[in-house]
Order: sequence, then structure tokens, then C-alpha cells
Amino acid sequence: MPKVRIPKKNVTIDMTALTDVSFLLLTFFILTAQFRPAEVVAVDTPSSRSNEEIKEDNITLTVDSAGHVYMNLYFTRRIPTLDSMIERYGDKFPVLKTLTPAQIDNFANVETFGFDINQLPSLLNNSVDALKSLKSDQMSGIPSDTANNQLGYWVNAARSTGLSTGTEIPLAIKGDKKTNVVAVKDVIETLRSREIYRFNLITTLESNID
Amino acid sequence: MAEIDTSDHGGGRHESKVKAKKMSTRVDLTPMVDLAFLLITFFMLTTTLSQPKAMELAMPKQIKDKNKDKGEDVKESQVITVILDKDHVVWYYEGLPEALTPETLIKSHFGADGIRKAILEKQQQVAQKFGTSDKTICLIKMTNDAAYKDMVDILDEMDVTKTKIFAIQDLSKNEEAAVLGARELGSV
Repeated sequence: MPKVRIPKKNVTIDMTALTDVSFLLLTFFILTAQFRPAEVVAVDTPSSRSNEEIKEDNITLTVDSAGHVYMNLYFTRRIPTLDSMIERYGDKFPVLKTLTPAQIDNFANVETFGFDINQLPSLLNNSVDALKSLKSDQMSGIPSDTANNQLGYWVNAARSTGLSTGTEIPLAIKGDKKTNVVAVKDVIETLRSREIYRFNLITTLESNID
Repeated sequence: MAEIDTSDHGGGRHESKVKAKKMSTRVDLTPMVDLAFLLITFFMLTTTLSQPKAMELAMPKQIKDKNKDKGEDVKESQVITVILDKDHVVWYYEGLPEALTPETLIKSHFGADGIRKAILEKQQQVAQKFGTSDKTICLIKMTNDAAYKDMVDILDEMDVTKTKIFAIQDLSKNEEAAVLGARELGSV
């Protein structure tokens, strides 16, 4: 049998195509990755086995490690919530009725709210940039004690915005690992007194499930 | 000092011309591809893992008139009470809170051989007595020093042990005293 001579081939492969594809994928992942929205309140949530997705448009009550309570509203709900606050509790808090239309419109830029109602007008006089760069140490939290339970009013107002469409707006509590349970229980009791018995606790997925 | 040598070395242009070697323009792209794939892997893994998850919690209605709604009778032997304390300490006891003393409070911790084992043992007892372990009732109480993480952890344990009936309640006076007593007993 005649020996077949195998021609010596060049072993270097053209990697350009591979690089193209991999960088395309890399760009795609970087661009589509949803960056965590800049968190106003630094909260390190505890981990759990629970694997449920969070609904995007919920009302989030954040309890930071010092026990202050903040409220996050989905951006479409902010102005209706404030309108509802004025309508429902305008008599209780006269300051709500003094808000100008411009101030009410500015409430749409408040992502995390942690103030006493009486501080609203001065807060809403701030520019959009100042509102967006609010930090938790500039806020004292929403009063949630039994004598002055403003948190309950806000929750009522925020939930009432779903009434017209008949949707129940889900509520979520987001607490820090180190938050004292008493602070979280206070929030839960506030919700219970408003006849809200089902809500979510925001956690991260446990990495080592034993 | 820094000077620029401008002197002409006498030669004409033809003499100083160095013949450039014709180099291959091919670059080895392997490390670049490696790096790109490493980054892809990194982004893929981190984006999916850091997503927050929700844990559903249902609380009982507030009963305003206690005589009106008595609910189902509960046997003492169905109940295990878990008390969360500071520094991730867990106390538990079985039976009625009235009979509780610091000595009957058992110290435990989170983990497979801690509180989970105690709950599973309770479930076995209940299963023997009532025919089904679903009747186990776990009462979760916490002292004012407990951390929120512990609360989430114990709710997780409810899910792990498949305890169907559980409730978060306030500490009674007697339980509070027992925990304080048990803390001292432990420190001696």
C-alpha cells in the first residue's frame, strides 16, 4: 500500500471570529444586566430558601438596622399616593393641603421616602437632583409608633391607588439582618391593624442550602 | 543635561536606512478570548444570583373580641414554643407557658442538629399521638434583643420541617422571666 503523505497543516486557528462572538456576548450581558438601583438605604437582607420572585410594583417598607422605616413606591404610584394622602388625611395634617401642584409633581422623584409628613413641603422644594441623591442619614424615617402612626396612613393611601383598577397592591417588608425584631414587629402590627395579613419579606437566596 | 542630538553622522539617507524585518501581523488571541469568556461567565453568574427573593408571610387577624372567636381547641402536647434570643440563641419548650421555669427551657441554636431536630422530634411525637405530624403547632416568640435575621431563619425552618401551623406571638410575662433566668443559669 502506498504510504499516504499527510500534508503538514498550519495549527494556528484564526481566533478573530471567536473573539468577536465572545465580546458580543459580553457586551450583551453587561448591557442587559439590571443594575441594582442606587439604594438610598443600605440594607443587607437576610438569606432564606424561599425562591419566589418579587413583584416589581409593590410597596416596599424598608426597615434599616437602626429601626427607621422608609417607604418605596413604584414610580407610577407616587403621585396618586400623595393625592390620596391629601384627600384622606388633609384635615389631620393641614400641611398636606398647602402643597402646590409643582411640589406634588416633584413627589414623583422621591424614590425612598422617610420623613415626617410635616417635613414634606420643605423636602419637595428641593431640586430633582437633590431628591435623587438623598441619603438615609438625611432622613429620620416615617413615624410608626402608636401615638403618631403615619406609616399606617401612607400604607392606606398607597393601597387605595389600586382600588380603581381593582388590583391588590402587594406589600413587602425589607429588613436588615441586624434590625431589631421589635422594629419589624411594629411594622407588621401596623399592617395587621390595617387588615393586611399577607405580605412578603424580602430576602436573598441562600447560597448553601443544607 | 538633556540635549537632543541633532548632529548628522555624516551619512546620507541611504546609509542610515535600516531594513525593517517583515513581521507577521498575526496576534495570538487566545488570552483575549479566555478573558472575554471569563467575564461572560462572571456576569452571567452574578446577575442571576444577586436577585432578591420574597418570602411570603401570613399573619392572623387581630381578634378584638376574645370571647367571640375561640377557634379550635389545641392540645398541650401539640405545641412547641420557640423563643428567639440575642446572639442567635434559640430557646424552646413544650407544653404550657404557665408551667415554664428557667430549668425547663432548653437552649438550642440554628442548624440541622439544633432547633430543626427538636421540631422534627416534636412532629414525630405528634404523629404518634394524633396520626399526622401536620397537627404540630409551633409558636414563635422573640425577646426584644433578637435580630430580624433570626426571624427569617426560623420561618425558613418552618419551611424545611414542613410545619404547617405556626404563629408569631408576643412573649408572656412568665416566658420573659424564664428566659432571663435561663440566661443566668447558662452564664454560671
